[in-house]
Amino acid sequence: MSTSTGLEQDAVRAEARRGLLIGLPAIATLTVLFAIPLIIVVAYSFGTRTRTGRTDFSTLDLSAYQRLADPLVLEIVSRSLGYALLTTVICLIVGYPFAYHLATRTPRVRAVLLVLVMLPFWSNFLVRTYAWRVLLGSDGPLVRLLGALGIDDVVLLFTPFAIVLGLVYGFLPFMVLPLYAAIERIDHTLIEAARDLHASGWGAFRAVTLPLSRSGVIAGSVLVFIPAFGAYVTPELLGGSRTTMLGSYVVRQFLSARDWPFGSALSVAILAVMLLATTAYFRTGGRSL
Amino acid sequence: MSAPAGVGPAVSLRGIRKVFPGHRGAEDTVALEGVDLDIADGEFFSLLGPSGCGKTTLLRIIAGLEFPTSGSVRINGREVGLEPPDRRPVNTVFQAYALFPHMTIADNIAFGLRMKRVPSDEIRRRVTEALELVRLTGREDRMPSQVSGGQQQRVALARALVNRPEVLLLDEPLGALDLKLRQAMQLELKTLQERVGITFILVTHDQEEALAMSDRLGVMDGGELVQVGTPGEVYERPNTRFVANFLGDSNLLTATVVDDGALRLADGSIARATAGRPVGSTVTIALRPEHLDLRHADAPRDAHLDAVHGVVVKAFYMGSAIYYDVVLDGTEGMLIEVRQGNAPGIENYGVGERVRVRWNPHSTTVLAD
Amino acid sequence: MSALGAATARLRRPRPPRTLAPTRAVERLLAGNAWLVFAFLYLPIIALVVLSFNDNRLASVWGGASLRWYRELVSDAAVLSALRNSLIVAVASTVVATALGTAAAIALERFRWRGRRTFDGMLFLPVIIPDVTMAVMMLLFFVQVFRFAGNMLGITGAFGLTTIILSHVAFNISFVAIVVRARLAGMDHVLEEAAADLYASPWQSFRHVTLPLIAPGIAGGALLALTLSLDDVVITSFVAGPGSTTLPVYVFSLVRRGVTPLINAVSVLMLAGSMLLVIVSLSLQGRRTGGERRRDGQRSLPSA
Repeated sequence: MSTSTGLEQDAVRAEARRGLLIGLPAIATLTVLFAIPLIIVVAYSFGTRTRTGRTDFSTLDLSAYQRLADPLVLEIVSRSLGYALLTTVICLIVGYPFAYHLATRTPRVRAVLLVLVMLPFWSNFLVRTYAWRVLLGSDGPLVRLLGALGIDDVVLLFTPFAIVLGLVYGFLPFMVLPLYAAIERIDHTLIEAARDLHASGWGAFRAVTLPLSRSGVIAGSVLVFIPAFGAYVTPELLGGSRTTMLGSYVVRQFLSARDWPFGSALSVAILAVMLLATTAYFRTGGRSL
Repeated sequence: MSAPAGVGPAVSLRGIRKVFPGHRGAEDTVALEGVDLDIADGEFFSLLGPSGCGKTTLLRIIAGLEFPTSGSVRINGREVGLEPPDRRPVNTVFQAYALFPHMTIADNIAFGLRMKRVPSDEIRRRVTEALELVRLTGREDRMPSQVSGGQQQRVALARALVNRPEVLLLDEPLGALDLKLRQAMQLELKTLQERVGITFILVTHDQEEALAMSDRLGVMDGGELVQVGTPGEVYERPNTRFVANFLGDSNLLTATVVDDGALRLADGSIARATAGRPVGSTVTIALRPEHLDLRHADAPRDAHLDAVHGVVVKAFYMGSAIYYDVVLDGTEGMLIEVRQGNAPGIENYGVGERVRVRWNPHSTTVLAD
Repeated sequence: MSALGAATARLRRPRPPRTLAPTRAVERLLAGNAWLVFAFLYLPIIALVVLSFNDNRLASVWGGASLRWYRELVSDAAVLSALRNSLIVAVASTVVATALGTAAAIALERFRWRGRRTFDGMLFLPVIIPDVTMAVMMLLFFVQVFRFAGNMLGITGAFGLTTIILSHVAFNISFVAIVVRARLAGMDHVLEEAAADLYASPWQSFRHVTLPLIAPGIAGGALLALTLSLDDVVITSFVAGPGSTTLPVYVFSLVRRGVTPLINAVSVLMLAGSMLLVIVSLSLQGRRTGGERRRDGQRSLPSA
C-alpha cells in the first residue's frame, strides 16, 4: 500500500507557481510602469529646485513639503476639498432618489434606463465638460435665456458654480451606479416585514432601505469625491484664475513653474488624501469598488 | 469493511486524511481522518451524513478535485492519488449540475469525449445513445437554461455516463429537485445503474434516499466513516448513538450488563440482548419507536417480549400511526417514543394512563458508545 | 384544521406590492427627479450636436443648418493627425492592457500564491490615483529612464507615441483586471472543475469553459480601457512629444484658446465614436449572457 503523504503540499506549490506565472507579466509591467514611477515621485518630493528649474538631489530635505503650509496652497487645498465635498453631497441628494426610482422600475424599463445612465458615462469626458462651456458662456443659450427673463449681466462661466456643476455632471453616474446596485439588492420582503410591524412608508425606508443601502452610499461618495478632489479638466475648462483647484496647481508646477520637487510633494499629498479616503471606505465595511 | 465478493474493489481508500489549513491564524480544519473503504465493482454505494461530515470532501478526493493530505486512493487497483481529475477514469454529477451554460445540451454531453479526442462520428453516436438513455432525445439543441431542473439533472448524468467511467460520482444529485421529482428520480437512478453496471458513489444527507437506492452505504460523522453496511444492516443494527439517530429515530436507554445475554433497565426489568461487555458495565441500547407497542400496564405478560412500564404523557394522532410519549418508571422523566401502527380495533391510550411498552428482543441493538 | 389551513394560506399570499410602493405623491416626486436628471445628463450633449450644425460662428445665433464645420474638420490636417495618434494609442494600449489585465485577474481570482495580496493592493492603486498624480509619475519616470539610457547606454529616448502608449497601459491594466475579475468571481468555479472532471487539461478548461464565459467581461474591460484611453488629457499631455498630440489633448488646447464651432464638430464626432462603441458592446453583451449565477429566492424591490 503506497501512502501519498506530502501530495497535497506538492499540489498547493504547483498551483502557487502557476498563479505567479500567469500574473507575472502584469506584475512586472506594473512594477516598472507604476511602482517605480511612484518611488521616483517620492524621491523628487525630497529634492530641491535649482535656479534654472532643474531638480537637485544632493540635499534631500522636507522643504517642498514645508511649502504645503503656504497660505496660498492651503487656500487651494481647502477650495478643492470644499468643491469635492459639495459635489459629493449634491450627487448624493440627486442620485439617491434617482437610483431608488431606477431600482423600483420593472426589469424591462430598468434595463433601458440603466443604458441611458451609462451612455453619457461612456462618452468622452472632455467633450461633455466642453459642452457646458458652450452652454454657460457669455453668449451661450443659458445667459441669453436669463437675459430674456430680465436677468441681465449674469456671469455663469468661470465661477465656482460652473465648476461644481461640471463636477456633478461628470461624476453623477459614479454615484448612481453603486447606489442602484445596493438598492436593487434589497430583499423587498424586508420592507414588507417592516410595514407589517407597523412602520410607516417613511419609517420603513429609514429603518430598512437606507441602512441596507449604506454600502452604496459610501461607495458612491468615495467614487465621486476622489476624482472630484483631483480634477483637472473640469476646473480648467469651467473655472477661472480665482477658482484654481489642486489638479491645475500641480500641473502648473510642471508645465510652467518648473518646480518639480514642489509639484511632486503636492502629488504625494493628493495621493495620501486618496488613500485615506479609500481606507476609511474599507474600514466602514465597504466591499471592493 | 471489505467489499462483497468480486474481482477487486473498484475504489479502494486507505488512511485518507484531509486537513484544510486555517486562513489568517484560524485553526486548521480536519475534514477527514483515517478513512478506509473498499467499494466493489458495479456497486451502488452511498456516503451518508449531515452537512460538514466530510462526505463531499471524500467524493472530491476520489474525483481528484481535492488532494488528500495523506492516504492512498486506488481505482481498480491503480494508485491515482497523484493524478489530476482529467486523468482519472471517473466522472462526476455535480450538486447543481455544473452544466456549461454557453453550450447546447449535445455539446455539454460531448464535452468529455471531445477532450479525449474521440473521433467525431463516434462522438455523435455515443451522444445520441446517451440522450436516449436519459430520455432527452429531441432536446439536444436546447441550452441548459431552457430545460427543466429534472431535465438538467439528466443532462448532467448523460454528460458523465457518456464517457463510460469506471466509477460515477454523484454529489447530492437530487438535492435541487422537489419531493415528487426526487422520488421518481431515485427509482430512475437505481434502474439506470443496474442497466449500465457502472459503480455509483452517491453523496447525500437524505437517509431515505441512501436507504432506498444503495447496495451498501457508509455513514460519516465528523470526518470519520462510522459505519458501513447494507441499508438493512445499518438501519437494523446501528453501531453508535449517532447512526441510531441519524438514520431514523431511536430511543436510547441506559442498561447494566447482568450476565451474558441479559441487561437490567432503569425500572429493574430485564432486556434480553448480548452486550459482549463485562458484567456490571453500563451500556446504551437503541430501540426503534416503530418496533415498540403498548398494552395496559395490567394486561397479561407475553414471555416472548421484553417490556418496561411507564405513563403516557402525550399522544399524537398521525393517521397511519399513533405516536406516544411515555415517561419510564425509575428514570427521572425520561421519555420513550412509541409509534403504534393504526388499524381497526387497535386500542388508544390517553394521557396519564399507565402502560407497558413491549418489544421483541431481536429489535434491541446494543450500541458501541 | 382545514379552516386554519385556508387562513394561513391567505396570510401567506403576498400582498399586492402597490401598498408597498411609495405614495402617489412621493412617486411623482421621484419620477420628476428622474426626468430632471436625464435632462441634465442629455441636454448639454443635444445642445452640442445642434450647435455643431449651426452655420453661424456665434453659439447663440442660429445661422441655419450646415455641414460647414464638418467640412472644415475633414480638411484640417492637425485634427486628422491627432485622430490618427489617438486611435493608435487607444488600440495599442487597450490590446496590451487587456491581455495583461485579464491574466492578472485570473491569477488573483483563481490561484493562491504568495504575494497575491500585495499585488492585489498594487493593482488597486492606479484606479484611485488621480490623473494628475499619475501624469506626474509618468513624466518623472520617463525623464529618469531617458537620463539613464543616455548616460549608461548612449541611447537618446524621446517623448512620443511610445511613452503615451506605455502610460495608458499603466493605468488601464487595473481597470481591465477589475472588470474581468468581477466576471470571474460571478462565474462558478465548479464549471472549471466539471471541465477537469470531463478530461479537460487546465488549458483546455480555460479555452473551452472559462474564456467563453468571461468573454463579456474581457470585452467590457477592453471597452473601458479604450474609453479611458480616448478620454485622457492630463497624462497624455505630460508624456506627449512633438507630433504625437492626441485628439483630446488637441481639443483641450483649442478650447483653452477659445470656443469655435470647429470644436463642436470634433466633439460631436468623438461623442458619436464613443456611443457607437457602447452600442456595439451592448449588443455583443446582450447576445452572450449566462455563466452568472443568479441568486434565487430573493426578490428585489417591487416594481411600481
